[in-house]
Amino acid sequence: MTSTRSLEATAEPNTEPAAEKAKRPTHNYPGALVVVEGIDGSGKSTQLHLLQRWLEVGGYRTHFTEWNSSPLVATATKRGKRRRSLTPVTFSLIHAADFADRYERQILPLLRSGHLVLADRYIYTAYARDGARGCPAAWLRNLYRFATSPDIIFYFRAPLEIAIERILSGRPRLKYYEAGADLGLSLDRVESFRMFQGMILERYDQLVEPEGFVLMDGKLPVQKLQQQMREIVSLRINLNRFTTR
Amino acid sequence: MSQPPKEPTPPNGADPGLGGPEAPVAAIPRPVLPRTLPAVHRDDLDGHLIVVEGTDGSGRSTQIALLTEWLESQGFAVQTMGLRRSALIAKDIDALLARNVVTRYTLALMYATDFYDQLETRIIPALRSGMVVLADRYFYTLIVRAVVRGINREYAHGIYELALRPDLTFFLNVRPEVTFLREFKKEPTISYWEAGRDMHLSDDLYESFIHYQTLVRKEFVHLARRHNFVTFNGEGSIRAVNADLRRRIADHLGIRSVRYQPSQSLVHLWR
Repeated sequence: MTSTRSLEATAEPNTEPAAEKAKRPTHNYPGALVVVEGIDGSGKSTQLHLLQRWLEVGGYRTHFTEWNSSPLVATATKRGKRRRSLTPVTFSLIHAADFADRYERQILPLLRSGHLVLADRYIYTAYARDGARGCPAAWLRNLYRFATSPDIIFYFRAPLEIAIERILSGRPRLKYYEAGADLGLSLDRVESFRMFQGMILERYDQLVEPEGFVLMDGKLPVQKLQQQMREIVSLRINLNRFTTR
Repeated sequence: MSQPPKEPTPPNGADPGLGGPEAPVAAIPRPVLPRTLPAVHRDDLDGHLIVVEGTDGSGRSTQIALLTEWLESQGFAVQTMGLRRSALIAKDIDALLARNVVTRYTLALMYATDFYDQLETRIIPALRSGMVVLADRYFYTLIVRAVVRGINREYAHGIYELALRPDLTFFLNVRPEVTFLREFKKEPTISYWEAGRDMHLSDDLYESFIHYQTLVRKEFVHLARRHNFVTFNGEGSIRAVNADLRRRIADHLGIRSVRYQPSQSLVHLWR
């Protein structure tokens, strides 16, 4: 079930059904959190970028944040990747540390101060990708328990072959962990990437219903998708709260 | 020894035993997953994992040095571990601690990365080859530090759900008033983190140290009960505490004699 909760509702006592409430804490912050999820090449980053442009031009207090970008954790992540010494567990933990740093120092203060936060990937990336690597689902969920539920989760779902074609055409060489080469799926890196992305896609699909993803058809033209995205944002979030004009 | 349930074999069908003699040599990708958590099972590991826990200044490191020598003299191959000793992330944690810009969840998760990196790349292989691993602190310290900083207890425990449970965990119980004197002898100024200054308990550093270390000790006592630690009074002499430790370890490893006299290089610890 996708939650239709508007921002106003958060000011009142929680009126959601008990089952929904037990799932994950919903936030009471004056800000709002919109995230995009999907496999590599699903078009999510392009769409979030266009959404950001629209919001900025519209004069709304907006902030963009991206997966795997904390400067505090960057050197360790790079070192681990270069040496190929990351295991599924340490790969997962180092990304959780990266996320925690951004969450505590950036996302949370922004939500508390009434910003519209746009996140390119959120905890569901870890659920899907680290889950595909073999980390237990319950362990992953616990790891990210401190993170609040987004107001909207856009899930860009493109057929595997289309997504893979987009990635391969724009990139000379797939990186080791990106291709899931650490899993030993195939010696051929492209084949490994294809299998790994397929496993991640499967995990994402399983999250759609329990997490209330808004399913976006990645086969649609960019403009059409963007129009849908803007409509949903206007409908679900009271944008007047974020206006700077 | 509670271990997570067996994970399904990964899609490459790699065998956790790492292929028999008839396994073809070429064209088989390195089966990484089964060699690492969560697919590792305690039963496959022949070694022994012995942990010494205690607050700053409880005498852990001294005892570990002595125990290492004793066990090696008894013919056991020993591997040690501790906090911030991973090849992956130790340096980064050091840098963060020095700058103290880091927030509590980030720090907790970086310590977790450091812990699991050592566990998976050094400790599990050591245990697999039958070594005795002596851990100068284990994840219990990390749980304690997180919990006293207000991180949910179940959350902190959950992080370490995939970690191996020790065969023996010792807790050297010492009052903060005593550890303060010991720490002050080592280093004539009290460190930021040992005084728990990030918690803003007091501007009086002695008071801050005592207050912080009291919270830590209380949490340890709680864990000791929950996880069946062997608690020793760490305020006794190094010699006496070491004898207690040797007796329990000898019992566990089936060593008959617990007699031990440190070598020249360690005799300065024997006071």
